[in-house]
Amino acid sequence: MNEYAIETKNLKISYGDNEVIKGVDLKVLKNVVFALMGPSGCGKSTMLRAFNRLLELNKDAVVEGEVLLFGENIYSPDIDPIEVRRDVGMVFQYPNPFPHLTIYDNVAIGLKLNKLAKNKRELDERVRWALEKAALWDEVKDRMGDYPSDLSGGQKQRLVVARALAMKPKVLLMDEPTANIDPVGTKKIEELLFELKEDYTIILVTHSPAQAARVSDCVGFLYLGELIEVGSTKDIFEKPKNELTEQYVTGELV
Amino acid sequence: MSVSNFRKAKEKAFLIAVGITTLIAILPLFHIIATVLMNGLPPIVAKGPVFITGTLSEGGIGPAIVGTFMLTFLSSLIGLPIAFLVGVYAYEYPKSAIGRLTKALLQIMLEFPTILVGVFVMDIIAIPMGTYSAFAGAFALAIILMPYVAVYTHEAMRQIPFTYREASFGLGLTKFKAVFRVLVPVSKRGIMTGVLIGMAKVAGETAPLLFTTGGLYQSYPHSISQPVGAIPLLIYTLVQSPSASDHAMAWGASLVLLLIFLAVFIPIRRSLKEVKL
Repeated sequence: MNEYAIETKNLKISYGDNEVIKGVDLKVLKNVVFALMGPSGCGKSTMLRAFNRLLELNKDAVVEGEVLLFGENIYSPDIDPIEVRRDVGMVFQYPNPFPHLTIYDNVAIGLKLNKLAKNKRELDERVRWALEKAALWDEVKDRMGDYPSDLSGGQKQRLVVARALAMKPKVLLMDEPTANIDPVGTKKIEELLFELKEDYTIILVTHSPAQAARVSDCVGFLYLGELIEVGSTKDIFEKPKNELTEQYVTGELV
Repeated sequence: MSVSNFRKAKEKAFLIAVGITTLIAILPLFHIIATVLMNGLPPIVAKGPVFITGTLSEGGIGPAIVGTFMLTFLSSLIGLPIAFLVGVYAYEYPKSAIGRLTKALLQIMLEFPTILVGVFVMDIIAIPMGTYSAFAGAFALAIILMPYVAVYTHEAMRQIPFTYREASFGLGLTKFKAVFRVLVPVSKRGIMTGVLIGMAKVAGETAPLLFTTGGLYQSYPHSISQPVGAIPLLIYTLVQSPSASDHAMAWGASLVLLLIFLAVFIPIRRSLKEVKL
């Protein structure tokens, strides 16, 4: 087994003539929380969507270079993007449980539609397991038939985490998961990351250096489409090698 | 001070002018409803339930009511599945040549003179069949129904925030499942609104039926390959008659048509308010 969960080789992403990721080489170890930080509009979310080939929903986006998932290039022609997305779960910036589905069905839908549970019992167990992993089970176990509109923003976001975990992905991508929720919800999500890295590799996109410092093991600093510096969180925040990194972590660069 | 007062007065005058023009614009609608109620209620009350259930010689419009429901149902059967798929296609492939052509065609079809649809269907169905029929009428109505449903479906799907699209594909769903099992259900309210508006529209149509369904008011319809009546068509026929009792009946039929329309339309307004994502 490869020691890196995600590895990119000269990854370039462009929209038409506009190159937003300019040749990034990155290695992300297994079972860590890796924070991809940088100011708004630097290409973090775009790059994240290259890791599960979700970028292809945007027809204008062109990806060059390689993205290796546990050593396998997910952009090689014989790879089915649908399989990739089952292995690489994603949580989005806006808490987006499906409004027309109950709490239960929101977690179960991926399993149901991909026919990944043999029977109702297995499905029930997996839904419960995912909700427990996402630290939401106790709050929703008596209201599985309710719709997610009644949940708080933080609860919705944990529900979406459970939806992704139910698929048993190998890697979990999180695109500014706390950007639209309150501080209490943010704290819960951040606590969750510590639990989840036991089993998953988590790539967290954040524009907040403070959040990266709180929750991550390793950090990559992305600026205007270039990966300026990568290292352990301690190194990046205590002795950054690059001047831009230093300016960013001290809040001078926004 | 006086400048400010002048400004306030100007604002007030403007508001009053807007209010009056609005009133002028909506007055005809209330006038129509009031007139239909005042003229339509007496003949219905005079006849009693027979007005709804009886044949024309019994003094009722029963066959026309059944005909309208039959035509609406049949045209939905023909038009809804196609229109729904066209709407989804236009949403899913907005930039493809067919997708763009479809959108342009739908816009034209929405505004297309409905009598031309009637003439066209007479030419391709009624004349070859050798008779007016419920089928021919329903086919003409289906052509009118389709652009409404397709445009509403397309619009409802377009309103879905992109993040739900990402979420469904992010779960490793195929395009077919992501679209039909997740995104269509997310927008089902909007799509249903289009379906109901399309049905309400065709239930009140007259022109496309003139040369296609014939008319049947002395007995209830029993076959889709035979002529059938419809309330708007009956009103059109009755108004042309010189007899005052026929005119009274036309008013009664108008009220029935209005009530059917409102029965569909008021729930639509309600459901529209609930469309939220």
